[in-house]
Amino acid sequence: MTRGNAPAAIASLVLASPVVIGAAYSGLAAVGAVGAGADGLSGAALVHVLTSSVTWQGVAWTVATAGVATFLATAAAVVVAVRVRGSRTGRLLAVLPMGVPHVAAALAALLMLGQSGLLSRLARLAGLTAIPSDFPALVYDQAGVALVIASAWKEFPYLALTALAVLLTDAARLEEVARTLGATSTQAFWRITWPRVWLGTAPAALAAFAFLLGQYEMPALLAPSNPTALALLTYERSIDPMLARRAEAHVLALLALVISASIVILYARLQHRGQSESA
Amino acid sequence: MWRGDPAINSYVDDWVAPRMRSLYGVEVRAVEGQGAELVNALVTEREATGVRPGTASLVWINGETFAQMRRENLLAGPWTDHLPNTRLVDTASPIIGRDFEQDPAGFESPWGMVQFALIYDPARTPAPPRSIEMLARWIRSHPGRFTHDQQFTGMTFLKGVMYALSGGVETFQGGFDEGKYRVGRDRLLEWLKPLTPYFWRDGTTYPLDVAAMHRLFANGEIDFTMSNNQNEVVTKVRQGVLPPEARALVFDDGTIANAHYLGIPTNAPNAAGAMVLTDFLLSPEAQLEKLRTTVWGDGTVLNMAALPAPWPSRFETVMADAQALPRDVLAQRARPEVHPLYHARLLEDWRQAVRRGTP
Repeated sequence: MTRGNAPAAIASLVLASPVVIGAAYSGLAAVGAVGAGADGLSGAALVHVLTSSVTWQGVAWTVATAGVATFLATAAAVVVAVRVRGSRTGRLLAVLPMGVPHVAAALAALLMLGQSGLLSRLARLAGLTAIPSDFPALVYDQAGVALVIASAWKEFPYLALTALAVLLTDAARLEEVARTLGATSTQAFWRITWPRVWLGTAPAALAAFAFLLGQYEMPALLAPSNPTALALLTYERSIDPMLARRAEAHVLALLALVISASIVILYARLQHRGQSESA
Repeated sequence: MWRGDPAINSYVDDWVAPRMRSLYGVEVRAVEGQGAELVNALVTEREATGVRPGTASLVWINGETFAQMRRENLLAGPWTDHLPNTRLVDTASPIIGRDFEQDPAGFESPWGMVQFALIYDPARTPAPPRSIEMLARWIRSHPGRFTHDQQFTGMTFLKGVMYALSGGVETFQGGFDEGKYRVGRDRLLEWLKPLTPYFWRDGTTYPLDVAAMHRLFANGEIDFTMSNNQNEVVTKVRQGVLPPEARALVFDDGTIANAHYLGIPTNAPNAAGAMVLTDFLLSPEAQLEKLRTTVWGDGTVLNMAALPAPWPSRFETVMADAQALPRDVLAQRARPEVHPLYHARLLEDWRQAVRRGTP
């Protein structure tokens, strides 16, 4: 380490310390060394969680719903950002939902998409359904429709803001240069704007995905009981009436951390490879 | 304490706290924290600060939380005999005197008593089922209109069914018995197996908690919600959470009643203040106020015979509330809790066999 980058390293360490300390505590609690119900060193919680189909189905379901929501939000954010970049009102409207708390977004989805929600009532008024259960199950459903819609809607403004920032600075300047060099508007868009926006938005999309993987409020209001979303499973274990099972909550929390960290590392490697190839 | 009910919060913040301040100079500040979370929090505090004072002087607990706190040596005591108002408590009641069959042993003081009840709307369900057997028939003839939640209230409902299918609560009394539990559990699962396809959403998913149940009921998606407090229906109607016509229903087979208690953590920063508060909460004045369905509707733990006049008649007047279930009906149908392990095991087995559908 050189003297020049020492402050940066210290800052990184300070920023990472809550995660490192939390992970270390969870690591100790996962093997029964600390925490409620700690009964001496044991790998039982680790084995039980990692060999349980409940865990892996919950992980798969959480990754799938978070992944689909992130993809939809990112695609919509890029398209909308490109469309509204020239309109101040459009830009404002695109980022407006950012102030809505996640739990409020989930409640809105519940009131809108539930079998007794607004859409269901409109369908009833239109004579399309007779009772609430005639309306498709979009909330607490195994496909996670309402959860995906609410998550995508909530992450959309954050991603749109990022895409707009890229478009209004870097990409706009390069696009102008391309146009002055004779590129058509279509060529400039696909060869310059689109790749810049995608690349610029990717880290934000990654952050949104990592957030959705671990968030509790929206699955608590919208997810089904089976499969059990990773955050719900973790909380359930953390308050399990069997004290000995609380160590499992720490194993699940570490599992979520490993998944998020793996995705960040994978992205960093891909980005590094991309930069090496372009150089 | 659990801060999920505005009626309870208002009783503590707006009625108890000002009186504690003016009468004793004790500042009461209620903060969020319930059941299992309290155990985690107190263990973490102990690990982080050792024997130094923690953050909570008094905790609201019962059953498994009491068992866990005792196991982890998180509760101070015995101290309840030092309180003047302890002599007014109805300790002869099997529901108040034993906490899920555990002897409080002076480590927790009773605060209130509640009884499980189903909640229904007579306009939608003019002839509700009056027993577990009738409920099974009702569920079959009304597909998709019944469910229970995944947490404490839902498990209390299932435990009540297990009692009824196994010859009553007496079968499970006297500590946890693995053999008796397995027989009871298997009977319950046999009862549930043909019924769950008639549950809400064909039994493929269950509401997370009673708040979700209340929402489904109020929106007409299901015909019954449930509560561990027979009077909650009255307070929830007043809050506008439940429809005005909603009523409580207690099965002829009986429903589970339990008491809730107050404990002082070993690291309490103000144990003396906590004792003064507990004694005040046991006073006839505080217990009567809490009993009013316009306030909280929480049952009293006081022995009417031990109260000086005119308190007994005041309690009788409040208990005769037209909206509440008659006191004698409740007393006749109240079934005590059994060892906390029955609850813990039932929850675990229900999750595996019913929620996951993998027996």
